[in-house]
Amino acid sequence: MKLRSFKHLLGGGLKNIWANKLMSVASVGILIACMSIIGLAYILTENVNKTLGEIEQQNVVMVYFNDINSVRYGGAEKLSTGSNISAASDSSTAVSSTGAESSVDSSTTNVVDPNEISDEDYLIHTEQEALALCEKIRSVPNVASAEFVSSEAGLEKIKQNMLSEQSEYFSFLDGDNPLSCGAKVTMTDLSLFDETLANIQAIDGVDTIQSQGDIAAKITSIKNGVQIAAWWIIGILFIISLVIVSNTIRVTMYNRKLEISIMKAVGATDWYIRIPFLVEGVTLGLVSALFTTGLLYFIYQAVVGTMKNALSISQVIPYSNFAWLLFGIFAVIGVVSGFLSSLVIIGKYLRKEGSEFRAI
Amino acid sequence: MSKIDTQIIQQQAVAPHQIPLIEFKGVSKTYLSGTNALTDINIKINKGEFVFVVGASGAGKSTFMKLIMREEKPNTGDIIVNGYHLHTMSRKQVPMLRRTMGIVFQDFRLIPTLNVFDNVAFAMHVVGAGSREIRKRVSNALNMVGLGHKARSMPSQLSGGEQQRVGLARALVNKPNLIIADEPTGNVDPNMSYEIVELLTEINRRGTTVLMVTHEHQLVRDFAQRVIMIEKGRIIADNSDGGLI
Repeated sequence: MKLRSFKHLLGGGLKNIWANKLMSVASVGILIACMSIIGLAYILTENVNKTLGEIEQQNVVMVYFNDINSVRYGGAEKLSTGSNISAASDSSTAVSSTGAESSVDSSTTNVVDPNEISDEDYLIHTEQEALALCEKIRSVPNVASAEFVSSEAGLEKIKQNMLSEQSEYFSFLDGDNPLSCGAKVTMTDLSLFDETLANIQAIDGVDTIQSQGDIAAKITSIKNGVQIAAWWIIGILFIISLVIVSNTIRVTMYNRKLEISIMKAVGATDWYIRIPFLVEGVTLGLVSALFTTGLLYFIYQAVVGTMKNALSISQVIPYSNFAWLLFGIFAVIGVVSGFLSSLVIIGKYLRKEGSEFRAI
Repeated sequence: MSKIDTQIIQQQAVAPHQIPLIEFKGVSKTYLSGTNALTDINIKINKGEFVFVVGASGAGKSTFMKLIMREEKPNTGDIIVNGYHLHTMSRKQVPMLRRTMGIVFQDFRLIPTLNVFDNVAFAMHVVGAGSREIRKRVSNALNMVGLGHKARSMPSQLSGGEQQRVGLARALVNKPNLIIADEPTGNVDPNMSYEIVELLTEINRRGTTVLMVTHEHQLVRDFAQRVIMIEKGRIIADNSDGGLI
C-alpha cells in the first residue's frame, strides 16, 4: 500500500470518529470506566502486595545453631556418649516449629552437665563459625537476610518482648542462658516457605528452627487470592472493552455501508477498507487510555485515605510509581481491543458482496 | 493537449474488433435458496461493443451482472472477464478485476457528505492515485459528462440525471475498459435517460466496452445496439450479428 493511501486512510479513520461523535464519546466513556476498574484492581493488588511484603519481612524465622547450649539443653541423644543427664525427663526437643518454649521451658528440658560434653558433640564452637554459618544460610535460595543473634542477644530479646511482671519467669535460670546462638532469617517469597526451611535445616551446624509457618501460609494464600481476583477483574473487563469497541465499529460500519459498497465496486482491497476502522478502534482505545491514566490519579488520591484505614497500610505506593505502567497497560488493552474488534467485525462483513452487503 | 486527451484519441482510433472481453462458457448459477437464476449460458462480448441486457424482473439479468463483477460465483461453467478466469481467481485478485471495470448503479450511490469532485475522486483514492493526478483526471471526467461547473456542488443540489452523470464520471475516472451500467436510467426522467445513454454511447465510441441493463424497450430500439434478452435464466435472444430482435 502506498504511503499517500495510508495517510488518506488514517485521516479517514479519524474522520469516522468525528462523524460518529456521540457513539465515540459513549465508547470512550465506557472504556474509561472499564480501564479505571482495571487500574484500581492493579493498584490495590500492588498495595496489598507491598503491605504483605512488609509483613513477610517481619515474619522472622529463628534458626538456632548446634552450639554447646543446644547439647546442654537439647537432651542426652545429642551427646556422643549419651549418658549423665542431670534431670530425668523423657521429653527432648530437636526441631521446634511453633515457638520459643523449646529453648526456654525448663520443665521439659533435659540439662546435660557441661563436663560431659566434648567438642565433637556440637559443630559451632566460636562466633566466627556462627558467622560463617550465617553466610551459608544467606546463600540458600529465597533467603532475603540472615542476621547473627548471639545467645545473650536472643535472651535479651525474649525478655524485652515479655511484660515486666513476667520477667520473674526467668528467675529459675539463675543467671544461666539456655539459648543457643543463631540467625534471624527472612525470606523473599513465603510461598516457598517449607522448601526454604528444609534447605536451611539441611545445612550442617543448624540445630532447630523456630518459625510461624501458619502465618506464612495465610500471607501466601491472601496474596494469591488478591492476584487471582485482580486477574479475573482484568480479564472480564478486557472482554467488556472488546464488546464496547466492537459495537462502535459495527455502528460505524452501518453508517458507512454505502461507502464500503462503492469501495468494493471500484476495486478497494480488504486492507484498504479495514484500515480506517482499525485506526478508529485503536484511536478510541488510546484516547481512553490517556484519559483513564489522568483520571485515576485523582481517584487514587481520594481512595488512598480509605485504603490506609481499611488495610492498615502505613504508606501507599505513590501514583507516579505506576503511572507509566498503567498507561502502558491501558494502551495495550485499548489498542488490542480496538484492533481485534475492528478486525473481527470488518472481517465478518468483508466477505459480503454488493447487494448482500447493502442489505446488512 | 493533455495525456488523457491523447489517450482518448488513441482509444477512438481503435475500432471494435473480435477480441472477447467477456466470455461465458456453460455457466449455470443456482442460489443456496434453490432459485435457479441462470442455466447453461454461453456468450461472448467483444472489446468495444455496446450491449443492452434486457429481460423481465427475476429473469436473471442481475445474476448475469453479478457474475461478471464476481459478486457471485457460478456453480458450473467458466467466466473470463478482461483475461481473469473468475472461477479460479482468488479473493485477493477480485479488487484487481474490478479496477478494470467501471460500475454505474441505478440508485447513483453518491456519498451525500462529499461534493461532486470528491465523489468522483473517491474512486481514485481507492486505487492509490496521487493528488495531482486526481485533480486532473476528475476534472476531465466531470467535463466529459458536462458537470465541470458543478464540481463543488453537493449531490443533494443536483437533479437525478446530474447525479447519474456524476456516477458515470466516477465509473470512468479510473479509465476502465468495461462499463457496467445497471439500469442507469431507472431513476431519471425520460429526457435525461436519453442523455445518459448518449453519454454511454459516446464513451463506447471512444473504445470502452459498455454493458447496460435496462427495462426501457424504447431506449433499446432507439439506440440500435446489440441486445441480449434473458428469460427464466436462459438467453432467449442475442442479435450479435446486428439484426433485429
